[in-house]
Amino acid sequence: MSRFAEPMARLIDELKKLPGVGSKSAQRLAFHILRSSEEDASALAGAIHEVKASLRLCSVCNNITDVDPCVYCSSPTRNQRLICVVEEPTNIAAVEKTRHYNGVYHVLHGSISPIHGVGPEQLRISNLMKRVEDEQADEVILATNPTVEGEATATYLSGQLRRAGLKVTRIATGIPAGSDIEYADEITMLKAMEGRREL
Amino acid sequence: MPLKESEAIVLRTYPFRESDLLVTLFTRLEGKVRGVARAAKKSRRRFGGALEPLTYVKVTYEDRERQELARLDACEVLESPLASEVTYQRAVALGHVAELLDELLPDREANDAVFRLGVSVLSHLRGTEYWLPITYFDLWMARLMGYLPDISECLTCGRALNGSRAFFHALADGLVCPEHKRLASSEMSAESRKMAALMLKLPLSAVDPASFAKLPGADLRKFLLQTLERHIEKKLVTRGMLERMTC
Repeated sequence: MSRFAEPMARLIDELKKLPGVGSKSAQRLAFHILRSSEEDASALAGAIHEVKASLRLCSVCNNITDVDPCVYCSSPTRNQRLICVVEEPTNIAAVEKTRHYNGVYHVLHGSISPIHGVGPEQLRISNLMKRVEDEQADEVILATNPTVEGEATATYLSGQLRRAGLKVTRIATGIPAGSDIEYADEITMLKAMEGRREL
Repeated sequence: MPLKESEAIVLRTYPFRESDLLVTLFTRLEGKVRGVARAAKKSRRRFGGALEPLTYVKVTYEDRERQELARLDACEVLESPLASEVTYQRAVALGHVAELLDELLPDREANDAVFRLGVSVLSHLRGTEYWLPITYFDLWMARLMGYLPDISECLTCGRALNGSRAFFHALADGLVCPEHKRLASSEMSAESRKMAALMLKLPLSAVDPASFAKLPGADLRKFLLQTLERHIEKKLVTRGMLERMTC
């Protein structure tokens, strides 16, 4: 039998389903919600409801958005012929943080992972191909993760995207800025040496 | 508990808790071991690229009392699949090796022969030739697991199959002669059987890739994968991808 009243136990059970939230954290969050004001609790419930009701995928780039096309795809100031391909919508924020990229995005929603049964056909690749053709793209930047799966995805896409006039590039891999070479692992160092540039 | 050190092949990783990774390793010392790499997702400094699937590493880990999962302390890369280009075909081949090792090996049971096979096949999967290492791996895994019947004779009548046609069926062990073949059987060519016999005699480095290039051995692989799937009683995820690669 539960130690908590039924609505409380239900809230704890629901919170426990969130990533990184265990029983103790779920209890703390549930009691915090219970102690918070009526307005705060309603705002939280409303925000959760709205995120499910109003968000969808952009029909052009597959980014998560509340307007279709998304803000990047509909922006007149962005270079629509420069496409950065990323694995997940969360990766867009990392590229945007640089404040130096003015192109658009394409979200694959995953990467090729044979061991998990994910092949190219499970990714959102077909609309990338169509988009590259229709929008007469000049360059496609493959910004998938530098993992075995991300590399396989990038190599596969580069093969599919080969056509005259289209530049296909891969983001660089190597030593993080501000770090110490002494602590770099073998693979990172190898990639950094391979990708060295002339000054 | 004392720290243990062993050579190992990383088979799979799964996200675990907020920033940890649950890692399945095939260690030389104790066979298949599952462990937790604390904060491996948040900080790359400790493990770097060492936890990428199919990386050959030297791992230090600690078993915890009354806990099934070990605690991974450190991983040093001995050979990484990221050191050479990862094409789609190579990713499928590497995934296939990882899947077979994970599905066929029992937990905490050392198997030095399979470990040496794994390391040898991984080193041969660096280039652009996939079919020879993959077929060699499938054949030897079937043999080392004790699932490979004698493929030189008919399993029903015992007649030698030398030179004659041989057939196999998804629901039956071994090869049979034309007389005992069942409906919906597939044929294995005499060349593939000869190649299999050669592979069972020679190390992978001694098998001539040029002779295999002329005969990619799709029938032999189909036979081996059917045999393995029948014994593990499940479909291999990477099998469909391998078959599509041959098309």
